[in-house]
Amino acid sequence: MTNPFGPNRRSFIRRSGLSLGSLALAHLLNPNWATLSSEGVSPDFSAGPNALHHHRPTADAVISLFQHGGPSQMDLFDPKPHLTRMDGKPYQGELEVHFTGQKGNVLASPFRFHKRGQSGIELSELLPHTSGIVDEMTLIRSVVTESVDHESALRLIHSGRFQAGDPSWGSWVTYGLGSANQNLPAYVVLSDPGGLPVDGTRNWTSGWLPALYQGTAFRPGPNPVANLATPADLSPLLRKNQMRLLEKFNREHLGRHPQNAELQSRIANFETAARMQTAVPEALDLSGEDQPTKKLYGLDNPETAEYGTRCLIARRLVERGVRFVQLFLAGQPWDTHSGNAAALKGLCARTDQPSAALVHDLKQRGLLERTMVLWGGEFGRLPISQGKDGRDHNRHANSLWIAGGGFKKGYCHGKTDDLGYKAVENVVTVHDLHATLLHTLGLDHKRLTYPQDGRPGSLTDIVVTKAEVVRGLLA
Amino acid sequence: MRLNAFYWRPFDFIAQVGLGFLIIPFLNSTEPPISQARVVPEYQNQIAPLLKNRCVRCHGPAKQDGKLNLALGAGLVRGGKNGKIIQPGSPDSSLLWQHVSDNSMPKGEPPLTPLEKGLIRQWIESGAHGLPLTVSALPDGDEHWAYQKGKPVSLPAVKNKARIRTPIDVFLQARLEKKGLTLLPDATKYALIRRVSFALCGLPPSLKETEKYLKDQSPKAYETMVEGYLSSPQYGERWGKFWLDAAGYADSNGFFNADTDRPLAWRYRDFVVDTINKDLPFDQFLREQLAGDEIARYSPKTPLSSEGIRLLTATHYLRNSPDGTDSSDGNEDEVRADKYAVLEGTVQIMGSSLFGITFQCARCHNHKFEPVSQADYYRLQAILYPAFNVEKWAYPRNRDIVAATASEIETHKAALSQHEEKLAKVKNLQREWMQKNPEPRTVLFQDDFDLKNQTVQMLWSTSAPGDDAPLGLPLVQLDSQKGPAVNITSGGLHVVESGALGDRAISTKQSFDWTPDKKGDWIQVRFDLVRGAPYVGFLIALGDYNDKKDKHKGNILFDGAESGQAKVYVDYPGPDGSQPGAIGESGYKPGKRYGVRVTNRGKGAFELTQWVEGNPEKNTLTLKESDLPNGGFGFALCCGRSYVVDNVVVEKSLDALEAAKIPAVTRDLRQARMAEFSKMIQDLEKAKPVPLTKLAPVVDLSPLVPGVFILERGIHKARGEKVNPGPPSALLESDKTDPFGPKPFDLTQSTGSRFALAQWITKPKTRASSLLARVTVNRWWHNHFGRGIASTVDNLGYSGSPPSHPELLEWLAGELAQNGWSQKYIHRLILHSTAFRQSGTPTKESLLADEDNTLHSRFPLRRLDAESLRDGMLFLSGELDLVQGGPYVPTSRGGDGEVIVPEASSGAKRRSIYLQQRRTQTMGMLEIFDAPSIVFNCTVRLPTTVPLQSLILLNSPFARLRSEAFAKRLLNEFPEDWNARLGQAFLLVWGRSPSPGEESAAKEFLLAQSREYTGKPNSEVRTWTDLANMLLASNAFLYVE
Repeated sequence: MTNPFGPNRRSFIRRSGLSLGSLALAHLLNPNWATLSSEGVSPDFSAGPNALHHHRPTADAVISLFQHGGPSQMDLFDPKPHLTRMDGKPYQGELEVHFTGQKGNVLASPFRFHKRGQSGIELSELLPHTSGIVDEMTLIRSVVTESVDHESALRLIHSGRFQAGDPSWGSWVTYGLGSANQNLPAYVVLSDPGGLPVDGTRNWTSGWLPALYQGTAFRPGPNPVANLATPADLSPLLRKNQMRLLEKFNREHLGRHPQNAELQSRIANFETAARMQTAVPEALDLSGEDQPTKKLYGLDNPETAEYGTRCLIARRLVERGVRFVQLFLAGQPWDTHSGNAAALKGLCARTDQPSAALVHDLKQRGLLERTMVLWGGEFGRLPISQGKDGRDHNRHANSLWIAGGGFKKGYCHGKTDDLGYKAVENVVTVHDLHATLLHTLGLDHKRLTYPQDGRPGSLTDIVVTKAEVVRGLLA
Repeated sequence: MRLNAFYWRPFDFIAQVGLGFLIIPFLNSTEPPISQARVVPEYQNQIAPLLKNRCVRCHGPAKQDGKLNLALGAGLVRGGKNGKIIQPGSPDSSLLWQHVSDNSMPKGEPPLTPLEKGLIRQWIESGAHGLPLTVSALPDGDEHWAYQKGKPVSLPAVKNKARIRTPIDVFLQARLEKKGLTLLPDATKYALIRRVSFALCGLPPSLKETEKYLKDQSPKAYETMVEGYLSSPQYGERWGKFWLDAAGYADSNGFFNADTDRPLAWRYRDFVVDTINKDLPFDQFLREQLAGDEIARYSPKTPLSSEGIRLLTATHYLRNSPDGTDSSDGNEDEVRADKYAVLEGTVQIMGSSLFGITFQCARCHNHKFEPVSQADYYRLQAILYPAFNVEKWAYPRNRDIVAATASEIETHKAALSQHEEKLAKVKNLQREWMQKNPEPRTVLFQDDFDLKNQTVQMLWSTSAPGDDAPLGLPLVQLDSQKGPAVNITSGGLHVVESGALGDRAISTKQSFDWTPDKKGDWIQVRFDLVRGAPYVGFLIALGDYNDKKDKHKGNILFDGAESGQAKVYVDYPGPDGSQPGAIGESGYKPGKRYGVRVTNRGKGAFELTQWVEGNPEKNTLTLKESDLPNGGFGFALCCGRSYVVDNVVVEKSLDALEAAKIPAVTRDLRQARMAEFSKMIQDLEKAKPVPLTKLAPVVDLSPLVPGVFILERGIHKARGEKVNPGPPSALLESDKTDPFGPKPFDLTQSTGSRFALAQWITKPKTRASSLLARVTVNRWWHNHFGRGIASTVDNLGYSGSPPSHPELLEWLAGELAQNGWSQKYIHRLILHSTAFRQSGTPTKESLLADEDNTLHSRFPLRRLDAESLRDGMLFLSGELDLVQGGPYVPTSRGGDGEVIVPEASSGAKRRSIYLQQRRTQTMGMLEIFDAPSIVFNCTVRLPTTVPLQSLILLNSPFARLRSEAFAKRLLNEFPEDWNARLGQAFLLVWGRSPSPGEESAAKEFLLAQSREYTGKPNSEVRTWTDLANMLLASNAFLYVE
């Protein structure tokens, strides 16, 4: 074998005659092809991290703390003294406004910014806890996207396309890397108990990738995954009898179709499902976490407890080998069209401490080096007011931060113009972001493809987007 | 080709294009990783993509500068007007190398990188492998198999004719023989009836059907059985669903998060099911969907015939695209983009369901793989544009029309006026009686807008009492027609919204105390809604609207819509406002009296209740005293709220002293009389004639041909050259006649362009109709065998997979065209073949020589699709509700996030095709078993095998309830003999008897479970439920063989 990165997937497929479904399943369950025999799926699921990288990775898991609605960058991450000087004056020059009828004058940020940490990156007073991890993060102040419409911008940052129906970044990562834990889904969504985010489950669709790569939403409460629990009226013995009978039926059936790998993997699936029944509740059970940890995430405070709980679960999931975890907020709370300042206060009170705690905690457990935490929304906001005290959408400037996973520490990338309307230096498109994200995971965005419309489809579609890995972000 | 060995599978696409294309470089052990120097470049994986990226914009299928097409291997071999461009082995004498090496190409663009040049040089040097050895002299387009005119195919010679039944078998056998294989013996009769029943109807066979088929010893028993299923009404449901998926059918508008309802789409679904059941010629079926309105010569002025209604229903095909324009917001560019997205979606759906071509690439540039230019794309768009004119946009709801014949309209009109007369009579009686016996209350304010010369300004203002600031900007114009305005017309108050953004309101000049002093006391407002709008809004405790004073509450907004509860906002608008909840239950519909009552419930609690037609509704909300300062009552103007109200009254309960003066008997009498009136009114309302049915068709908005332009780089405001409607030029006949000439007949409403398209694409013996026939039969073949003869079912173009049996596909397409485009005819051809009837159990030889079953050396083993699985379980449990057609059965997202149909809801046990197909709310069970959440459309489902499927089969309430019902059915049918009961269970679920091993395992299991259940309630049902659960989870049920 001349390939230093592992065995040959294609010859494996040919040998075992797997169909797509079973291949994909085997891929997710057991990315180390070496442990698969030509008879199909081996019962040995002890494979370590997969062997399918294009190059050496600096990260093997992603946690996206997604901030639906478009957090206001000039109130949180991107200080603009000039904005204060121009406060209340008409904005000079062209502006792309979403709600054209409510265009107001320049609106200063009421929040003070301070230099933080060794790096001296300036952050808003609204983010006291995030300020404490500033030396762990790369802050990008120059992210741009292509739409000022929520749904389209959400799809752009999640799938690289305007329209619905394309695979999300989590699906691509899962497709590229598989799972390191066969008892948990590789791509987990921790949705808000308050409800679905805008654009709903489409935010974690696998699009035209096989459904296997779709995000699985874990919900708060006793039944985190639909149909996970054995019906209450079935005792363990009764269920055990059932499983033995089913195994017998399926083995006899398989005897009529020897070498059919799809049937084999369906049989194996019942075993996996049974293991999921214990693995999922175990991953979500916080009773084993010590008090200092719970306090760190703000579980003792009603304002932070809910988001803190999900951040803590995110850590537990990547500890257990989940590749991609994404947290959502119900609706789109950062969409501050009116009462921008007041709304930001509330949102930061809810998310600041838990987000920073996650980075702290990952670091103290030695997980941050291999896990990237990404905090941000679909676009930024305008330097002018909407109506009296709101801010409208802005696709030309957005700030977000990434900690861990091989990104630089205490580093600030890119610059916006004096009023914070447009990124003007080191501009990073959402597509560049995707390319870079895949790169740190050891995946080449140009080569991670799947057939679509008669051509190899990819997350970055470079012919259209010209996406490039932003080397400057990487340590 | 190396990959041919496994080229047939669902996976072949990946193997050929995906893995082979780009993933291989890091996986393929036969090639060193690309970091290692000096590899021989591969045409398919490296050269072709490079040429496609850098050259085919000018030298491609659409634009062939220098008569050179570098998108195709054949084009490379053929060369251009300057002759051959490649001399294998000698790059220096190859034109291709000369031009890229001296940077004269790509013209006007950055030269190739050294790496790219290196690849090309090495490839030519090493012999330019990977190109076809011979190429035809035909121009591209004519050359591609799928774009040619259909031609007769002769049957190949076969040696072993023993298993030949039909020409299909001849084509397959000829290939099998070459590998030393032959079609297998027929499957058992049990297996065959299960196979046919699922294939045609998506359900397992009934015991009666099985028994009949087993008993039938005639030589035509199989054919008779097939005919039975072909004529079953359930056939249209299964095969209708295949077309509905290809056509992109959905019950919602999609596009945005709102994913609003398409309440009339089901009529199209029913049209499809009905038409497929009747086996209307498929070409006609398609013509009707493209241009039913034009075929019917529809005009809004002429009454419809029932045939006209059917034809208009068909055109909903062109409305299946996502259409979010009813939820658009944002600036002009965004709103325009949302409209264009509808056209773009429709072109995409037509591309994959009719043409087998991916048109969408050509929206921004000439297609790099297919002979489709950007102009071709916009010519297609121009066909649809008269119906979807971006400049004269019609929102989804406004496209709906009343679908009734003249006589139906007449009858309905008469019935309605009769009804209204009766209703008016009762209401008059009630009013008269109420005038004579007024309800004890104190009227604080009253405006019936009836006095002559009355103006709004007399009692109303644009600021709230005691507040100088205006109620929003721009100001509402009082007594003006031009919005935002209110005026009095025909004795009612017209609220005219301007569409300008922002909140505005008017208020009474009078101020009221909204917190009655004593427990039980109330104050209320009421008004008659004369004409409605999607939204109606009004405010109480109206004061500091601009929120200048600190801590002011008040400004309670009631935000009512046509249906559902009215949302309640406190301190509206402004950042410190809140929405504590919603009240009431019925929506705001014209012709009714609405009101809100504030009642003192004691301890500082004030309850808000919605009143409709004098009746309080459920869902109330409690506010604090501080929420309700003294203030005015007013109407809100925002967000499409244009409506007409009348008889505005503010009144409060009598104080105790006055109330005590009324004798009890008077009070009781009054109550009884009022109850009598409301009963009479309710009864009449129930008997109200059902509104005339509506349709959601596509019709042109005007008969004038609008200007349609190429959009440069696909950017919606970048207009380029003007184009005329027309089909893709590569599919034109060689005489190049304009198929979109003058209108075929007089159309008063339409441009006729869709009719022209419909005629053109189905015109016999043309390249277009040949392509259509290939796309169609290939999709049907896919639906029968799980894989098309060409596996890329929605793409038969250059970039699609070539057919595994080209002659067979050609022959079938010809059969379709020559036999009246009868779908049932094609089913018979396929189902009567040995290929369909042969055993599904592979032999050693077939596994060896045809591992992946490309050659059809056995019947493929396939999992039931999502709908067959759900419907099949309901069928076996005896619960399946076979009611056909009508509005969808709503799905809902449960508390745990799973989309279900609540068990108790009406229609919960109907076939899956009738469940709501909301794009963002696909039923969980169906989705997990690979049913699509439609975005555009779906011609192929990728079958997956995931643990969530196992969890559904084991634990879901759906599976457990079906198992229980199935158990009860068995116990009911075989109360005594449990051996017979068990045998029957196997026969029903698996379509066969169990093996001795299976049978004894089942018996052992029954004993073990019943031991555990001994002494517990329903022990027998629970025992058998547990068995049924496993039967329904078993592979022998899940797979058809």
